[in-house]
Amino acid sequence: MPKISIIIASEKLDKVLPPMTLAVTAAVSGWESEVFFTFWGLLALKKGHNVGEVSSDYKAYERALKNAVNSGSIPNLLDLLKYGKSTGRMRIYACSTTMELLGMRRGDLIDYVDDVVGAAFFLNNAKNSDITLYIS
Amino acid sequence: MTNLKADIIVDARYRSCPGPLLSLAEAVMKANPGQVVLLLATDPATPKDVKAWALQVGHKVLRVEVTDDTYYIYLEV
Repeated sequence: MPKISIIIASEKLDKVLPPMTLAVTAAVSGWESEVFFTFWGLLALKKGHNVGEVSSDYKAYERALKNAVNSGSIPNLLDLLKYGKSTGRMRIYACSTTMELLGMRRGDLIDYVDDVVGAAFFLNNAKNSDITLYIS
Repeated sequence: MTNLKADIIVDARYRSCPGPLLSLAEAVMKANPGQVVLLLATDPATPKDVKAWALQVGHKVLRVEVTDDTYYIYLEV
């Protein structure tokens, strides 16, 4: 089966939902799927993190996007994680350097995170992927 | 119009990609081989999405109908 590896480096709603949509769709399609959250992307995995904001250039669309997420017409991050994890084929990693930088501990992260890892670990996993994406 | 009988109906109308596919996949996971799942969707990407997904995971799209902006997608598990 194909494999997709994604790095997400932003917590903004418009940066997190599209790649997560691909990651989860891959997992439900039988693919191996992994997502590495680094830098500001890690903030999206904090316990109690809200729906989030859109990037500052697109504030005019924030209400529309939030309404779509809140009404369920677009799945939110936690829904996507729940679906993806239910396949047993999606893994979520948190960047160890960013954890240190932001003063975060393992217990600050939502339970969907599989592990806290570094660059070499992710590279070794991603080197044979069919699709790799970096979203920031 | 149709004589296909659905064992399970998944109503994903007014939900955007990837909602309909995720709901369908969830229903299919719980279904038994040979059962027919009917997916109702209004997102126009859904028929092609479901066909691409079904090809990859080994299920069969039996029929796609459209009435009043709603797609009726029959899939055999």
